Amino acid sequence: MIPIDELKKYEILAELDPAELKFLSAMAEATQAREGEVLIQAGLPARTLYILQEGDLMVAFPDGRAITLHKPGGVVGWSALVSPAGYTASVTCLTDCTFVTFSGSELLRLVQRNVAMGTKIMRNISKVLSRRLPFLQEEDRQRLRKGR
Amino acid sequence: MGGFSAISAGNGWLIAAMGISVVFFGLASLAFIITYFPRAIRWWNDHAKSPKYTVQLLRSLFSQRSRKAAVRADTREGHETGEFDDVEEALRLLTAHMKEPFKLPRLIEVAEQRGLARVHSKINRLLVKGTMVGGADGLFRWATPNETSKQSGSELLSGESHKD
Repeated sequence: MIPIDELKKYEILAELDPAELKFLSAMAEATQAREGEVLIQAGLPARTLYILQEGDLMVAFPDGRAITLHKPGGVVGWSALVSPAGYTASVTCLTDCTFVTFSGSELLRLVQRNVAMGTKIMRNISKVLSRRLPFLQEEDRQRLRKGR
Repeated sequence: MGGFSAISAGNGWLIAAMGISVVFFGLASLAFIITYFPRAIRWWNDHAKSPKYTVQLLRSLFSQRSRKAAVRADTREGHETGEFDDVEEALRLLTAHMKEPFKLPRLIEVAEQRGLARVHSKINRLLVKGTMVGGADGLFRWATPNETSKQSGSELLSGESHKD
């Protein structure tokens, strides 16, 4: 469980109201990973969504291109919200990291039950992804649209 | 006369011990030179720029403790010295072979294969310092001196699109 005050700091959850955050708070867990650890392997089933609390990440796409995330609130593992799906990129910790994590299946169920909340989350994830558009392939964009 | 007595009579034991000592000290000297060669090169390069660094380096040759203190002092003062400089140099050499712009995951892979320690955090430090920058195309390159001076002190930056 992660406190509501902590969750509402993150961009993808910023628009949620306290009642919605309370649901997420119960589902959220804290996770740590060490420098050099591969947090997500591209192609493996996407089961967890990660929000970066602290640390630095590299998101590497299968064609070798990459982006690095250094600010709290960075989201990785969004494929977990488009079930069934595999991760589209590998994520490696550049430094020791802490994350807020959500089980993809639980979050997806919650989002499907509460359409208003789902829309807010998906809209914010789209916003995050649009900044990475040069790296997204058409297939990924289509999957995201279907997820909405 | 033969066997051990012949060896003793001809000072064979002494000659053998001398031979072992010569080889041992020769190899030890070679190891010492190889160990300190990169430092000597760096000292040669930095001598004119920073006499203070030279003093610290000379002290560090004789004392492990003072060497650590010198490195700490350098870090506090933000100097680009020591191990980190070695890694940056090594990474620059690797990227020279890869051509710029380069793929960051490939650089990390190659650097690890070459035995560089803690590559991830060192590359992260270069990214945060703005010494290495990411482009909107997902490829990375070394910043020009102008870019580095503009970015120093900023929170980060490997490209606006990467800051989420």
